[in-house]
Amino acid sequence: MESLGYLMAGLGAALSFNNLLFAFAGCVLGTLIGVLPGLGPAAGTAILIPLTFNLDATGAIIMLCAIYYGAMYGGTITSVLINVPGEAASVVTCIDGYQMAKQGRAGSALAIAAIGSFVGGIVATILLVAVAAPLASLALKFGPAEFFALMVAGLCLVVGLAGRNILAALLMTALGLLLSLIGMDPVRGAPRFTFGIEELYDGIGFVPVVMGLFGVGELLLAAEARQTHLIQADLKKWYPTRDEWRRSSGAIGRGTVIGFVLGLIPGVGAIVPTFMAYVLEKRISKNPERFGKGAIEGVASAETANNAYANGSMVPLLALGVPSSPTIAVLMGAFIVNGLTPGPFLFQEKPELVWTVIASFFVGNVLLLILNLPLVGLWARLLKIPFAYLCTGVLIFCIIGAYGLKQSLFDVWVMLGFGVLGYILRKLDFPIAPAILALILGPMMEKSLRTTLEISGGSFAIFLDRPLALALLAVPLIVLAAIALRPRAFANLRQTDIE
Amino acid sequence: MIRRRTLIAAAGATALAAPAFAQNFPRKAVQMIVAFPAGGNTDIGARILASIAEKDLGQPITVVNKGGAGGQIGFTEGARARPDGYTVTFINLPSVSTIVLDPERKAAFKMDSFVPVVNQVLDPGVVWVKADSPYKTFADLLDAAKKAPGKISACTTGILSDDHLAILMVDDAAKVNFRIVHFEGSAQQLTGVMGGHVDCAFDNVGGIVKRVKSGELRALVVTDDQRSKFLPDVPTTKELGFPSVISSSTRGIAVPKGTPADAIKVLETAFLKAINNPEHIKKMDEQGLALKPMVGAEYAKYYADSHAAATKYTEWALKQR
Amino acid sequence: MSRNARRGWLVATATMMAICVFAIWQSLLLSLTDRLGPGPGFFSFWLSLLGVLFAGLLILDVWRKPVIESDETLFPRGESAFRVLIIIGAVAGATLLMGWVGFELAMLVFIAVLTFALGERRWYAIGLFAIAGSFGVYYVFTRWLDVLLPPGPWAA
Repeated sequence: MESLGYLMAGLGAALSFNNLLFAFAGCVLGTLIGVLPGLGPAAGTAILIPLTFNLDATGAIIMLCAIYYGAMYGGTITSVLINVPGEAASVVTCIDGYQMAKQGRAGSALAIAAIGSFVGGIVATILLVAVAAPLASLALKFGPAEFFALMVAGLCLVVGLAGRNILAALLMTALGLLLSLIGMDPVRGAPRFTFGIEELYDGIGFVPVVMGLFGVGELLLAAEARQTHLIQADLKKWYPTRDEWRRSSGAIGRGTVIGFVLGLIPGVGAIVPTFMAYVLEKRISKNPERFGKGAIEGVASAETANNAYANGSMVPLLALGVPSSPTIAVLMGAFIVNGLTPGPFLFQEKPELVWTVIASFFVGNVLLLILNLPLVGLWARLLKIPFAYLCTGVLIFCIIGAYGLKQSLFDVWVMLGFGVLGYILRKLDFPIAPAILALILGPMMEKSLRTTLEISGGSFAIFLDRPLALALLAVPLIVLAAIALRPRAFANLRQTDIE
Repeated sequence: MIRRRTLIAAAGATALAAPAFAQNFPRKAVQMIVAFPAGGNTDIGARILASIAEKDLGQPITVVNKGGAGGQIGFTEGARARPDGYTVTFINLPSVSTIVLDPERKAAFKMDSFVPVVNQVLDPGVVWVKADSPYKTFADLLDAAKKAPGKISACTTGILSDDHLAILMVDDAAKVNFRIVHFEGSAQQLTGVMGGHVDCAFDNVGGIVKRVKSGELRALVVTDDQRSKFLPDVPTTKELGFPSVISSSTRGIAVPKGTPADAIKVLETAFLKAINNPEHIKKMDEQGLALKPMVGAEYAKYYADSHAAATKYTEWALKQR
Repeated sequence: MSRNARRGWLVATATMMAICVFAIWQSLLLSLTDRLGPGPGFFSFWLSLLGVLFAGLLILDVWRKPVIESDETLFPRGESAFRVLIIIGAVAGATLLMGWVGFELAMLVFIAVLTFALGERRWYAIGLFAIAGSFGVYYVFTRWLDVLLPPGPWAA
């Protein structure tokens, strides 16, 4: 109960005028970053670190955390309205969010996303306070073998939810993984598949690929359909209906748990929990065919999971000093710049600071809700813009986003190439999501597999010795095999496509 | 296309704008590439320096972590950056040398791709285990390694890093054979060893000092000929009878070849001033990072000498492959 | 599956298979294993082998599917095709121009051409949007957000 006392003191500090102002500014900036496609939380926090240099340590960290949450939420807005994920974790939100927007329910989708994010964020922070220490020791059990198994499980889940064509999904997964291998070998440093092209040494950028496959691909489809507007939105009805509430509440609860638990595991990344929460909803739903066609549970689960993850991922950082994602690594940098080394000592040495920061997570989540609910109408108004302008505008942001990350025109070409590819794959109805997840997980997967084999001296038997890894590998593989071998029994589960 | 414009810009900057350059540099944020992930020894030192030096430089310094392949990914990017002074790279010796020396890695840079500007840290190597490990001393660890050749796992912060070379030096001097596991940076080592996935870690003194003091992990030996002021109770390899096992990592700032001399001067002055700043010294002390400021000819000589020493060990490491 | 869709699937899958075969060949040029464990080619080799397997099975699967006769085409014709192609062309043109004349001018042309092609006819609206989207955006991003964009030849 000692923590509770600290937390109360922290809450008092977090509610001071200055800290409130920093949290507010962070939320606004973060949302803006999230809205701009291509500028995700990692790039956003990194770009904005200089803004916090003149603040004291507490203020700087509060502001950066608020930027992080804000960006996670802001990504939702573009996902729903124009099917462009503002950041990677919003990819799943596109699936049903954009369909809802097409049906004129953009307002409901954004509102439920804001509410889900709020609940997920608050509950995850409460859990963080309660269980940070005991769960941190569990996270240590995750060695390279378990990491590899976890990523295989994640990929199997995405393949399983790819619907109609498991083979196509598997093929896209393999290609996504192959694509991720372009560049320097993460262990030996040998260049692979670079063909002497300098720009390929650093690998194919995730941002331009995603912006191409999703953003540009979707724009090309919309252009073909001769739409004058991307989608029609009814701005008046933003408040979710009673039925939508009923559907979402369970999804929000489950999304919170999944997001938080996966947040504890370093290296999972924000995208896995959103996928998992989405799959779970689809699996337990009485009518899974609604998914992919504008199911509000899909939006609620994914958005809740992604915010619960954002808060949960603070646990390994604060308790162990292990950054679990690129964004958290940037935040960790901010801690260090301010003379604080995240880790077990931080709680002992600077409890007032840690608890103020944790308390500010509550404050940040409340601010985001206040900020976003009334503005839903404003965001949805974006849809009234004529196609000629919206299309051109989105393309400008895509070009800036692709170029800005590495100041490379090569990346703009990559974006355009994958845009055309995304358009063709969409026309053919090939599943795209598995390739995207594979592209993100590929380097981590290869690294953890090879580290595992280094530990075992090259023997795959290590997976048999580690029950956790074995379970993580076996369960999804069995499920996948069952689906592949007995397609009829699972037909009802696979009627809808993720795309 | 980018390349051509870079060359034109570089030529223009040196030939035409040289006199005005010093007053104009830097006009925007300077990017500092760290070739290891956030939270590692190199990263901590770089971030502390960046936060102080930007006041002297008058422009923000953005630290960018480009980890992977024992630093090669970050070094490559740093060496190929536009030589305009707006991209500086934290170079780790001997890692830069070992990457260049390994033919299989097809490094896209050479030793002279970098112009060393200022050195910041000389961080000796250390071998550590987790606090409840059965190995109480370095001798315990070596005994275990002798009894089970190739079974005791030791992790590095990257392939052909100074830690990797240190393992090979111990292998040779003590006639043992560790199973080598390459991690990416000290943060991964920490989870690997603390989680019981790997037996011991070869790392550098900085970054683990706090955890040794808190009792979370135990330092067995420092790979140096004199005791570290941060770990006064930990014996050195020389004391334990392995005088040939001396390994450290030095970290400093370099710019790509072709960077205008004026810009180098501005950077050198600002970074050196920051390194000698009491705030910097205090923060580095807290982290257990030993300072070794070097600039100009001294640093250039160290850069060359370190490369010569690394050549010997790398060739030997490659033979072991 | 319509005849055209089937042909599309077969062509796409065969292309992907070819990519995987190429990747197998490339992986074999790298070492699959060395004394330290799995080498740089290890993961890519097995992965591309799996890819070939999946692609082969997929081709068989598509081949067996019944064909529904219809003259439904996969890709659009006429005005729809023009819209798709003009967007691709405009982005490609803008990217080429950008390396040459910088962000502002490239975007000015890009916006004007694209908004006109997509149906906007009010010249003042096009002009305003083009200036805001090129010079305005450039200013905001480079000055306020510290995101570098390709400079014009006049900015040394």
